[in-house]
Amino acid sequence: MMLNSTVLSTSRLSPNVKKLDFEWNVDVEPGQFIMIWSPGIGEIPMSVSHLGNPKSITVKSYGIVSSRIMELAPGEMIYFRGPFGNSFDIRKGKKLLIGGGSGMASLHPLIGPGVHGLVAGRTSSDLLFSEEFEKDKVTLATDDGSVGIRGTAVDALRTIDVDQFDSVYVCGPELMMYGVMKELGKYSAFVQFSLERNMKCGIGVCDSCSIDGFQLCTQGPVFEMETVKNMREFGKERLNISGRRIKYNL
Amino acid sequence: MNSTPLRTEIGGITLENPLMLASGILDENGYTMARILREGAAAVVTKSIGLDERTGYMPPVVFPGDGYLLNAIGLTNPGIDSFGDEIRVAKEAGKPVIGSIFGKDAEEFLRVALKMESYGVAGIELNLSCPHVKGFGSEIGSDPALVEEIVGELKRKLKVPVFAKLSPNVTDIVAIAKAASASDGLVLINTVRGIAIDIFARKPVLTNGYGGLSGRAIKPIGVRLVHEVKKETGHAIIGVGGIYTASDVMEYIMAGADAVQLGTVLMDRGKSVFREIAAELGTLLEKLGEGSIRNLVGVAVS
Ligand SMILES: Cc1cc2nc3c(=O)[nH]c(=O)nc-3n(C[C@H](O)[C@H](O)[C@H](O)COP(=O)(O)O)c2cc1C
Ligand code: FES
Repeated sequence: MMLNSTVLSTSRLSPNVKKLDFEWNVDVEPGQFIMIWSPGIGEIPMSVSHLGNPKSITVKSYGIVSSRIMELAPGEMIYFRGPFGNSFDIRKGKKLLIGGGSGMASLHPLIGPGVHGLVAGRTSSDLLFSEEFEKDKVTLATDDGSVGIRGTAVDALRTIDVDQFDSVYVCGPELMMYGVMKELGKYSAFVQFSLERNMKCGIGVCDSCSIDGFQLCTQGPVFEMETVKNMREFGKERLNISGRRIKYNL
Repeated sequence: MNSTPLRTEIGGITLENPLMLASGILDENGYTMARILREGAAAVVTKSIGLDERTGYMPPVVFPGDGYLLNAIGLTNPGIDSFGDEIRVAKEAGKPVIGSIFGKDAEEFLRVALKMESYGVAGIELNLSCPHVKGFGSEIGSDPALVEEIVGELKRKLKVPVFAKLSPNVTDIVAIAKAASASDGLVLINTVRGIAIDIFARKPVLTNGYGGLSGRAIKPIGVRLVHEVKKETGHAIIGVGGIYTASDVMEYIMAGADAVQLGTVLMDRGKSVFREIAAELGTLLEKLGEGSIRNLVGVAVS
């Protein structure tokens, strides 16, 4: 079923990232996503970054559909299907969120008092929602060194004493998460990853989002460390948009 | 008492139960196909593969409605030369993998089929529902002469069994079934053409506009076509279209199907549906007082 609502307000979070707020009165769990449709143009998956009512999505422009959705103004209609996917298992105790680029949109609902963050990106404007963490509880990393540590999420992770955390939640580009998985493998915390693949249908039929036989859209996108560690495709291979197998160059 | 009451056979391929995965649903990635086989499917059919890589249509490529699914994926595929890895991985599960292929004419079908066969598939399924280049707008599967040529050419050149998947979007399915009589089995049916319009956007939802209808809504159409073709030709048939329960499987079998394929049901019941329906079928057979599912093939066809 295609749902629709009206955009209530928009705000620019960085030069190419915008937040859109819209009325939608259903329960959405942290980590779930929707498929947003721009009529006549296309449809893309998007994390629900703010879960109350109104709800919000945080859009980064990277293609024609996301660019068109970013242009939506208050009063215009927004079309979507969902919510889809499973959600983060939020445990009691001390939490660390590790977000790369727009992966922070999916982690945003987990930010709260006492929650630590590691926010990484290519450059300072890629670091979403880092200002929402308490001042002394956030570590930043950029490839170009424009803010925080110059280096990757893994470099930043090495500066953190992970043993102090009970649970860690990770979302970002696959190769970043692969590095983070290797590093976190040294610790005993409860770890969940929100994985990322092409999503075409959102309903478990097209196979475009699959990894090791799991469909991200219905069985994921959130998986535990134990499952991710045993995947043969994670961090190594994926199918491109036509279904052709591509190997990551590691 | 028969120890293998669900065992069946189609085109010389033995199946541990009559449940196969239909082409185009969760069968682009070898790891997914292997998992579905381990979940209890007796065989899988790959998504349809052509000569060249195709990205297909921009999403929305599916639209789930009440009791049905519409799709227009656009024959997305990596091209036959890049599909070997997926077959290899799928075959790790140790069960039959059938390669579905499409092409624009007999020559192209043959090129793709030979390559598919070289990957070690148990059989080839011909998707005859792609657009007919010459007969603009219609499907290859609506031209009996072309169907006969394609099936004949492949039967002469291939060692593995060849199944012809027919489209329901034709006026005379029996004529097409007869044209495909050289095949080792007919697969009935592919999706029924349809459309969904979003009344607020005032546009078709699928990027391609028209799509193929599948799911519960098409079951009576599928069962009718299987019944009609069985009655008129007696050919071996794989039934597909809207199967959601063991009793749906039984309807297809009684209409003349030797085996069936499940597609859209995976959207509602997940991959475990194969194991579940196989168990339900066992119970149902007992209730019907039959020792083997083979005894029921075509019993409703007079
Ligand atoms: C998303 C989707 C993709 C499909 N792709 C193919 C395909 O590539 N080749 C083919 O022969 N049939 C394809 N089909 C048709 C199915 O194999 C099947 O014939 C049809 O969906 C009816 O069965 P069902 O109601 O159990 O889904 C596709 C169906 C769906 C829903
Ligand atoms: S997006 Fe189609 S199976 Fe997940």
